[in-house]
Amino acid sequence: MWFFRQHRRRYATGIAFLGLTSFVGLIPPAIVGMVVNRVVRHQVTPRFLMWSLSAIFVVAVFSYGFRYLWRTRLYGGAILLGTALRDRLFEHFTTLSPEFYHAHRIGDLMAHATNDVQAIQETAGDGVFMMVDAVISGVVVIATMAIAISWPLTLIALLPLPLLALIMAYYGRLLHERFTTAQAAFSDINDRVQEYISGIRVVRAFGQEAAEREMFVQLSREVVAKNVAVARIDALFDPTITVIAGLSYFLAVAVGAVFVVHGAMTLGSLTTFTLYLGQLIWPMMAFGFVFNIVERGSASYDRVKHLLDTQATVKERPQALEALPAGTLTYHVPSFSYPGSATPALRDIRLAVREGWTLGIVGRTGAGKTTLFRLLLREFDLEAGDITLGGVSIYAYRLDALRAVIGYAPQDPFLFSLSIRDNIAFRHPDADDEAIVRVAKLAAVHDDIVSLPKGYATVVGERGMTLSGGQKQRISLARALLGDPPILVLDDTLSSVDAKTEALIVQHLRDARRGRTTLIASHRLSAVEHADWIIVLEDGRLVEQGTHRDLLAQAGRYRDMYERQQLERLVEQGGRMDGS
Amino acid sequence: MALESFDSKESAEGRVLVPRGTFWRLLRYLLPRWPRLAVALGALGAATAADVLQPILVKIFLDQYLIPRHFPRGPLIELASAYLALIGLMAAFTAVQLLLFEVLALDVVQQLRVDLFDTIQRLPLAYFDRTPVGVLVSRVTNDTEAILEMFMSVLAAFIQNASLLVGVVVAMFALDARLALAMLILFPVFGAIMWLYQRISSPLFYAARHRLSLLNAKLNESLQGMALIQHMRQVGRWRADFHAVNDAYRAVRYRNTQVNGVLLRPLTEVVYLFTLMGVLAYFGTRSLTAAVNVGVLYAFVSYLSRFFEPVNNILQRLNSFQQAMVSAARVFQILDDPGWRPLPVGDEHPKITAGEVRFEDVSFSYDGEHDVLRHVSFTVKPGQTVALVGHTGSGKSTTMNVLLRFYPLERGRITIDGHDLRTFDEEELRRKMALVLQDPFLFVGDVASNIRLGTPGIDDAAIERAARLVQLDRFLSRWPLGYQTPVGERGATLSTGQRQLISFARAMARNPVILVLDEATASVDTETEEAIQEALAKMREGRTTLIIAHRLSTIQDADLILVFSHGEVVERGTHQELLRQRGLYYAMYRLQSGEMWAPGAS
Repeated sequence: MWFFRQHRRRYATGIAFLGLTSFVGLIPPAIVGMVVNRVVRHQVTPRFLMWSLSAIFVVAVFSYGFRYLWRTRLYGGAILLGTALRDRLFEHFTTLSPEFYHAHRIGDLMAHATNDVQAIQETAGDGVFMMVDAVISGVVVIATMAIAISWPLTLIALLPLPLLALIMAYYGRLLHERFTTAQAAFSDINDRVQEYISGIRVVRAFGQEAAEREMFVQLSREVVAKNVAVARIDALFDPTITVIAGLSYFLAVAVGAVFVVHGAMTLGSLTTFTLYLGQLIWPMMAFGFVFNIVERGSASYDRVKHLLDTQATVKERPQALEALPAGTLTYHVPSFSYPGSATPALRDIRLAVREGWTLGIVGRTGAGKTTLFRLLLREFDLEAGDITLGGVSIYAYRLDALRAVIGYAPQDPFLFSLSIRDNIAFRHPDADDEAIVRVAKLAAVHDDIVSLPKGYATVVGERGMTLSGGQKQRISLARALLGDPPILVLDDTLSSVDAKTEALIVQHLRDARRGRTTLIASHRLSAVEHADWIIVLEDGRLVEQGTHRDLLAQAGRYRDMYERQQLERLVEQGGRMDGS
Repeated sequence: MALESFDSKESAEGRVLVPRGTFWRLLRYLLPRWPRLAVALGALGAATAADVLQPILVKIFLDQYLIPRHFPRGPLIELASAYLALIGLMAAFTAVQLLLFEVLALDVVQQLRVDLFDTIQRLPLAYFDRTPVGVLVSRVTNDTEAILEMFMSVLAAFIQNASLLVGVVVAMFALDARLALAMLILFPVFGAIMWLYQRISSPLFYAARHRLSLLNAKLNESLQGMALIQHMRQVGRWRADFHAVNDAYRAVRYRNTQVNGVLLRPLTEVVYLFTLMGVLAYFGTRSLTAAVNVGVLYAFVSYLSRFFEPVNNILQRLNSFQQAMVSAARVFQILDDPGWRPLPVGDEHPKITAGEVRFEDVSFSYDGEHDVLRHVSFTVKPGQTVALVGHTGSGKSTTMNVLLRFYPLERGRITIDGHDLRTFDEEELRRKMALVLQDPFLFVGDVASNIRLGTPGIDDAAIERAARLVQLDRFLSRWPLGYQTPVGERGATLSTGQRQLISFARAMARNPVILVLDEATASVDTETEEAIQEALAKMREGRTTLIIAHRLSTIQDADLILVFSHGEVVERGTHQELLRQRGLYYAMYRLQSGEMWAPGAS
């Protein structure tokens, strides 16, 4: 792991201090043993007493320092590791293509960046600490007991302890399994409450309160039951330790007494021995825990590593052009299917949009309008065919250069939790207020914004502040318009805007976009009627194209759509005739 | 600059004022469960006694047998068996009390959750308008979980540790009262450490939590908007932002580790060693002048290590205790909310039979300041269809909201079949009046369960009838699982139109006298659109229908059209009458029909 290598010194010193902590921890029991021996033999002198007390004092000072140092080294290191991992993950996320985000749920990615990183951090902190501590104190204490006091007694007293490690590991695994089930039950009830509160109007309108309550009570009982299963294991930890440690003590005192009687050891040594024994319980437990922690940590590490190894599907060519693309936009798409999909989303598309033109794209949901834009924006790359700007393939440019010339307002007007001003200025953070107000006016949202209590400083998504779908769309449009991008892509951007406002915006766009390429996809024909060229998509094919006039003359699908949308007008005229 | 803004938010959000008595109020939840609590405490007492007796047995062995080298077989076996039995008993009692405390905790929290749910059920809709869903969900789940944590580990550990402390102190007194008395000095020392630790660490703890939530929010938002961040070439800026948030979190966590390193285990270890020095000094100086009982020395040293374990435990849990108190304060805040949904008035228990709806001079305001409805009056005769049209915010939806008694009405009167709306029983209202929302809310389950909801009276035949009536069956027959087709979260697996039809069927399955319908604006494909229009026509047959229309084409045959503007009904009449008036309705109609785009218009 790169991290441990990078922070070799921190870990080395941390482990060294941990070792020193265990080492000085051996001294007080030894001193207690000596005192006991002298007390038994009535050999206590003031000098001896002073000496032993000062020894403990020195130990106390050092032990404090060492403990502080290893903690901040090791746990601090783990925190650094977690932070670095999160940064790495985030940087990696920013390189990945939309395909990746289609294949993964945001919630899962969040879980990787939080829970998995947390688990790795724990492994690097608690895990390393426990392992090192268990090994060092285990070895040091056992060695001291065996060498300085009595190795046969050590052997006998230690007999039950490996069992402790085994049982702890077993409990740990059981606990983890049951805990996972309990978590799942908890997340069920979470989802349920979420759904209930989101649907509160339906619940009330249909008088479903009793049924909902019953379901809730049942789910929360489930949570209790699953947690009781966890508690059953949880409650076993301490008693198990008690029994095994108790057995070990018993063996030590009983057998030790025999040794004392036979003069093989002193009473003081026995006291020391039992104190050491107390110090061994923790390392043994730690051994048990370490297995589980490391197991979980490495599973998390594998998942994170897998994410970090994922490659972006959209890549720049070597020596891609830095220059900004410009000129006529052409599409040549023999066939394009989304990854993992059998049916092509686009077929036999040949299209040219002259620089400065407005292209209207109409068609039903799923006809391929958005796909056309996604290919231009290089969210997905073509396998066959090409898209060119000014005769040069868009794949020949640097991604950054291509993105620099395209302004984009997507179907879903995603806004960030920044001020409205900063949202509009998202693409050009240093834009001045004048420019921002100009595009807001173009998008017919300026009046809405200034009528908010905090105006342009209103933070999107702040408590008690909701923007309507139409307002969001218009802010998103303003964002795309800022900086007058040479190519503007509007993907059904005005679907939630009422007809009157739409008319106003379309009028604004015609003036503001003169001489610049604009691509507009729309459900409503009114938004594209004025376009220089209109294409009609159906099931991924280009079925009709031409100007509004041409298409009406063709008596095809465009005409159908037009007539359907004009139907109301005809009815109205009929109504008026009846009335007059 | 970014960091500063976090800090200022921390004080606003990170720290919640915990009213006095919150802790006792939580404890009161234990009262009704006192028998189990008593058993748990009893087991705890027994386990502690067994624990404390162990060193005494060893002391007896050392003093009476080992040191005098006196080994009678019988008493020794008795002593050994007593020791082993003590371990066994202690293990058993410990297991029992641990489990009981956890079950108690789970039980209390279950109760809290149900109480919360009941409170949410009674709160007025206005409450949900101003409280984000996520916040409420978090109260019911996360905050109660924090309280659970408190009961389970903090409170239980506190009781367990305190009882061990008491046991140890008692045993020490039994062995050597003078020394034990001196040991009592340790309590104020521990108190001081706790106070100090709490003072220093709890701001850090809150800061860490707050910064973590900022970090998660940032991450979540970045992932959601990643495509945009990439398109708009803001990757560099966003990385720097994330790095700053991440680093702010790291800084506070690191500081926390340092504080723990200064004040937690390392410090108590020092106190332990100092105490050990005191004990040794005491016995040492005594042995200069007189004989000292080695068994007592052994027992004291052995108690000393037990003495410090509980303190370490409690120290480590102080922060979760604090967090739990904040959570409890939030939970109680909801439980204490004085808001109630409108409840039936009087004991008339009127019934809805014909379905005549009257609004008499109704004015309404959500916030008490701005009127959203002004002097609205109209009558819908039984079986008639009335359409409400108007711009966004004109008051159409509010009219529906007050008719459904979602909000209490204070000015004006609404009657159904001549009875004041306020006098109807909740059940009567909900059974006879059905609502179709603009955004058809579907629950996780299947198609049938979404039509039935929890109403037991609706059998499969009723569901099928309703589905046929609204033409849902033409889709259902094509789906292999039919009525059992699963519906994902919020109906995500279905198209908008299909969701709409399911919510139609849901309303129709109840065969309501009054139908309240908020037409969807979202565009759907032609086939579904046809189905929806046909369904709408059929649904209106023979029942009073109030429909909020967004597409004027759907309501041309309505018996009455009310045109809303800024909370008032500005025009009323049939389609033809309104067109003739050449007023607002006419203008709206013209706009919708797209005449504006024709050359030369407007």
